[in-house]
Amino acid sequence: MAPARVDTQKGAEEDLEMKVAKYSRGKGADLKALRDKKLKGQLTVKEKLYGQSAKAAAKAEQWLMPTEGGFLEPEDEDLEKTYRVKQESILKEVDILSSRKPFDMILPVLGPYTIEYTSNGRYMLVGGRKGHLAMMDMLNMDLIKEFQVRETVRDVAFLHNEQLYAVAQKKYPYIYNRHGTEIHCLKEHGVALKLQFLTKQFLLASINSFGQLHYQDVSTGEMIANYRTGLGRTDVMRVNPYNAVIGLGHAGGQVTMWKPTSVKPLVTMLCHHAPVTAVAFDRSGHLMATAGVDRKIKIWDLRKYEVVKSYRQQAQSLDFSQKGLLACSNGSEVEIYRDLGGHNYRLYMKHRMMKGYQVGKVLFRPYEDILGIGHSSGLSSILVPGSGEPNFDTFVDNPMETTKQKREKEVHALLDKLPPDTIMLNPNLIATVRAPKRKEKKTKKEIEEEMEEAVEAAKNIERKKKTKGRSKPSKRAKKKEEDVLRAKRPFLEESKEVDGRPDKKQRIGEEVELPKALQRFAKKPQS
Amino acid sequence: MPKKPAMRRGKPDRGPDKKRRHGPRLPRAMRQALDAMGNGTSRGSDDEEVSDAGAEDLYEYEEGVPEEEARKNGRYDDVAKYEYEFDSDASGADDNVTSEEEEDENDDGEDEEKQIRILEETTGMPKEAFSAKKKKQPLELPSQPGDGPVTIHDLLDNIQGKPGYSKVRKRLQQQEKKTMVVAAPLPKVEREKLERAVTYKEANKELTKWERIVKPNREASTLFFENDVNLGVNTIAAIANKFEPRNRFEKRMNEITQSNEIMEAHRNDGAKILELNKIDVEDVRERQNRLAKMRSLLFRHEMKAKRVKKIKSRTYHRMLKKDKLKAASADFEADPEAAKDYAMKQELKRAEERMTLKHKNTSKWAKRILKRGLSVQDEGTRAAIAAQLQQNALLTRKMNSMKDDSSSEESSDDDEDENDSEAKILNRGKERILKVLEEDKEIPNSGVFSLPFMERAMKKQQEAAYEEARQAVEEYDDSLRKLEDDSTERNEDSIKVTGKRTFGPAKNLPKDVNKKQKLEESENSDGEYDSDPAQHFGNNEATTKKDVQLGTALLDDEQNGLHKSFDVIMKNPGPKTTFEVGMLASDSWKTVKSSKGNGNSSVSGITNKSKIQASTVVPNPKQRDNNPDSDSDSDEEMVEGFLTISDTKENYELPSQAELIRQAFAGDDVEAEFEKDKMEVLNEENPEPEKPALVPGWGQWTDIQQKKGLPSWMIKEHDVAKRNREEALKRRKDSKLKHVIISEHVDKKVEKYLARNLPFPFTSKDVYEQSIRMPIGPDFNPAISVSALNRPAIVKKPGVVIKPIQYEEVNPHQKPDEPKRVIQRAIPHPNAKKVSAKQSKGATSHKRK
Repeated sequence: MAPARVDTQKGAEEDLEMKVAKYSRGKGADLKALRDKKLKGQLTVKEKLYGQSAKAAAKAEQWLMPTEGGFLEPEDEDLEKTYRVKQESILKEVDILSSRKPFDMILPVLGPYTIEYTSNGRYMLVGGRKGHLAMMDMLNMDLIKEFQVRETVRDVAFLHNEQLYAVAQKKYPYIYNRHGTEIHCLKEHGVALKLQFLTKQFLLASINSFGQLHYQDVSTGEMIANYRTGLGRTDVMRVNPYNAVIGLGHAGGQVTMWKPTSVKPLVTMLCHHAPVTAVAFDRSGHLMATAGVDRKIKIWDLRKYEVVKSYRQQAQSLDFSQKGLLACSNGSEVEIYRDLGGHNYRLYMKHRMMKGYQVGKVLFRPYEDILGIGHSSGLSSILVPGSGEPNFDTFVDNPMETTKQKREKEVHALLDKLPPDTIMLNPNLIATVRAPKRKEKKTKKEIEEEMEEAVEAAKNIERKKKTKGRSKPSKRAKKKEEDVLRAKRPFLEESKEVDGRPDKKQRIGEEVELPKALQRFAKKPQS
Repeated sequence: MPKKPAMRRGKPDRGPDKKRRHGPRLPRAMRQALDAMGNGTSRGSDDEEVSDAGAEDLYEYEEGVPEEEARKNGRYDDVAKYEYEFDSDASGADDNVTSEEEEDENDDGEDEEKQIRILEETTGMPKEAFSAKKKKQPLELPSQPGDGPVTIHDLLDNIQGKPGYSKVRKRLQQQEKKTMVVAAPLPKVEREKLERAVTYKEANKELTKWERIVKPNREASTLFFENDVNLGVNTIAAIANKFEPRNRFEKRMNEITQSNEIMEAHRNDGAKILELNKIDVEDVRERQNRLAKMRSLLFRHEMKAKRVKKIKSRTYHRMLKKDKLKAASADFEADPEAAKDYAMKQELKRAEERMTLKHKNTSKWAKRILKRGLSVQDEGTRAAIAAQLQQNALLTRKMNSMKDDSSSEESSDDDEDENDSEAKILNRGKERILKVLEEDKEIPNSGVFSLPFMERAMKKQQEAAYEEARQAVEEYDDSLRKLEDDSTERNEDSIKVTGKRTFGPAKNLPKDVNKKQKLEESENSDGEYDSDPAQHFGNNEATTKKDVQLGTALLDDEQNGLHKSFDVIMKNPGPKTTFEVGMLASDSWKTVKSSKGNGNSSVSGITNKSKIQASTVVPNPKQRDNNPDSDSDSDEEMVEGFLTISDTKENYELPSQAELIRQAFAGDDVEAEFEKDKMEVLNEENPEPEKPALVPGWGQWTDIQQKKGLPSWMIKEHDVAKRNREEALKRRKDSKLKHVIISEHVDKKVEKYLARNLPFPFTSKDVYEQSIRMPIGPDFNPAISVSALNRPAIVKKPGVVIKPIQYEEVNPHQKPDEPKRVIQRAIPHPNAKKVSAKQSKGATSHKRK
């Protein structure tokens, strides 16, 4: 007994250490090499605090995240294959709550369906191609609102929560609220084919039939950006959850990545030799999966822009789950792959729809072991053990949110809204020192500082004592003044250049506002 | 001390020269003059110096010890000594000395005279006193310039054998016996160095003793100022304890409560207190009676007041007021105090009125009325405004007498009285002025005033005064006349008012008519509007051709109306519930369907039909979406899909031709295209250098030139540019990735999120970046550590006074007790920490929600 206990203790310690390492987010700087004593002291204190915080976080994780995710695990790897396990056999084994979650909904009339989940996984939005829209509460399987827009519906997307959602319709995208009331018609987007919502930035991105990418701020209604991709029509669009960069798949086999503040794509990758059919990003943002018409699925490392793995497989849609499972649909088949380490994706599960059903979209439901499938005649959801994050952080996403919490969260989300410029390939760059530019215009402040220095230097010049009369105090003062002026001149010119106008003359109409008490003494303009 | 006065005189003599004299060299004349004057001084001072035992220096050193030996060996003459004496505080060499000294030579005599004069003025003694003493001086001096160096003996000969100098003499003798060599003082630089060293040591000691206290404070990341939170607020019990009776009532109460009886009763048993509470029956009755009487009186008074208040008669109230006033005035006569009070009150009112101008048409109401025109108002308003103005006039008028003032509602008789009194005053003033004018005409004709220019001035003044007086008299006349006019005017006013009364309604009438007309017009226009929409709708119908065609051909009126309304809704993209749309639409759509079902032939019908045929062949929706052509599907098509799909189950359809072609040739030369794109991007970001070329016609004059080809510098430049470009391309992130283009474009908008240069204390980029690697917000850290991570440099509770650091002497032998009083520390107070943690928790939790 004793050695076993020691072992478990050791294991727990190691586990804790690993977690601490995770939370301390890399190592601190080498403080011994620092020469500045004060800085050293400050940094030591800081590092100590960081260490404490990481430890506390690790311990908190132990208590607050008790649930562990599991997978289908065969008893014998060689004989049993997990992908042979049918849904029915899984259903038999799981608990009652989970057994209620999978369903099949046959809606043959209003055509292929697309689905969308809120970020907390509670609500599902269903869009039928022929104008059928429905929102459901998946927790208690309630239909919240269902209506017909009587137009083509190409895509649906939730905004920050289930209160609002955008629908790409025949001509324009529209925004509806929870009750199905039309709130906005976003005419500027044109015939949108695909919609994506950037949660942190409150931006609604759309790609339209002319291959134009639009970004609109849904909190202010401002159109942030409108870029021509110049790569033709596409309806393959996905947002990278890590850095909010949008990935577009094009007919030329390229995948381009966009941000709202750059006209040109940040990255253009030639991923396939045929049109790209689907793109998906991992939650960590470092992995991208693409599928093309050339019957290939490729896994990319976005840090190196290199293919990690390539599989011969066709896919119409791809999706990464929170735990890293990759689902792809092919015709009426849905396959789920699992990373066995080292990006070695193996077939994990297989699900076959009824023959003739074309699967349009697969989407993992957040915080649940469920895969939603939208197909040509309805929608269904299947159990995929180990796909969802088992522990949710209520500060991030809370599937059991109350109304009050929802309201609070909405306000907080708005307060914490990030400006669109913060979207970049590597968001960790923020606040770091930027690379020096070759030729850089000095700012006014810098010029002023330099000027002050030069003036100081000019003032301190010692003058030789001259013969009678020539080094009188008055003359010396005069000379000094001249020196100072001479030192100043180049800087003044420089600052003028920066300003673009001379400082002496004030522009008309840009008068200085006097305080009210003094206004009566001001000269009145003659006219 | 007989020499004292001489010394005193000598010093001021040298006053002006003091600063200039410096260094050993002096012109001879000067020296002689000094000798002549200053020997006595020197002697006097010498006496003191000797007694000081070498407390002086003779040479250039400004301050220092005297050197007796120097005097002995005769290196220095006595002049040098004077020099020192008078130059003791002169510092810094002056270049101009020489030239001015030459002038001094000539001026010396004058200088002395001047100084004597100054002395005379300051001391108040006669001139002779100073000059005589001065003349006496040289007699006492031994004359020895030229006789060799002056020794101390020469100088001290004079005191030989004189009483009172025995001490000095003795010391002198002693010193001569000793013949001790006094070392030359260190050079100034050395001395100062030593001094600095000592000062530094001392200062260091003084400062390092603070280190123990200051250092931890400096090193602490947070300072807590939360001790001494006792702000002097006491508990109620403590306050009650301190209570001391001050006035009579309190004292009485205290007496009762603190009386021995009650205290004892308290201590013993509560029952005894009850006994003490007993009151006489008669007392109670009496009190009850008194109270009843008071109550009845009050009631009666109240009833009376109520009755009086109910009376609406104006005259009654006026009488009442007058009575009151009379009573009051009677009071004033009787009681000067009350009168004074009343006057004060009245004055206050007046001042207030002058300040606020409350009654001078400044109110919103008055302004509005004035804006609309006084003539338009009815007489009631006008009267009110007039009353207000009068009130203002009364309140702002300067008070002549109390009676005048108090008449706020004076009748016309009173007014006349007032006018009379004013006239009287005016007349009196006029008379007085005239009198003064007559008096003024007498001119005094004696003394200074009889001088001609004085006379002229007087005349002028008189004229001015006369003019002034004349003006004053005229003013009086004017005001008198005005007073007379006023009374008449008032009458006129009343007439005017009546006139206006009659005209008022007449003026109003035409306006009303106008209004009515306008109303009618508007109604008419309304009518027009009413008719307009109808037309508009008609237009609408005309414009929406298709609908009209369908509608007119097939549908009855009712359906038409429905259709219209649907159209209107469709046109209007404003917010609406789609539910409604569905309701309305479904009907209309049905109608459309029915029309198609009937297959009636209209122009649009045919087109529709063709579309129906087309759409039946349309492939399954997924593929249709891929086909860009099919995207332009119209409403009709939609309806078709809606209808057809229900009865025709999905059937696999071939993809369109375009789609097939695109798929077939998709992967043809994707790679080549991509490479081309990449090259384009590269060229855009790092443009290729232009090929060297000469301007046509230049450098091609001769064969030799042509043979030579391009100049070498051109080729070189091109090569350099090419190499630079290649290097730049190599440096690109995507240089080794064939299939990737990474934009090198610098986003200016991102730059604002980056640090321009390293923040101050940091010297290395790595250290800086590693120091900011941890997020410190509540989203990323457990609640326990958030407050610590974000704690400010100084934590201070409001109300806590931060005292300056005090130095505490630490007694090593003292027992390690708690410190007497902690001023500040780097660790939070344990109790306080709890509180602060609670607070922070509350804050964070609030934030997170």
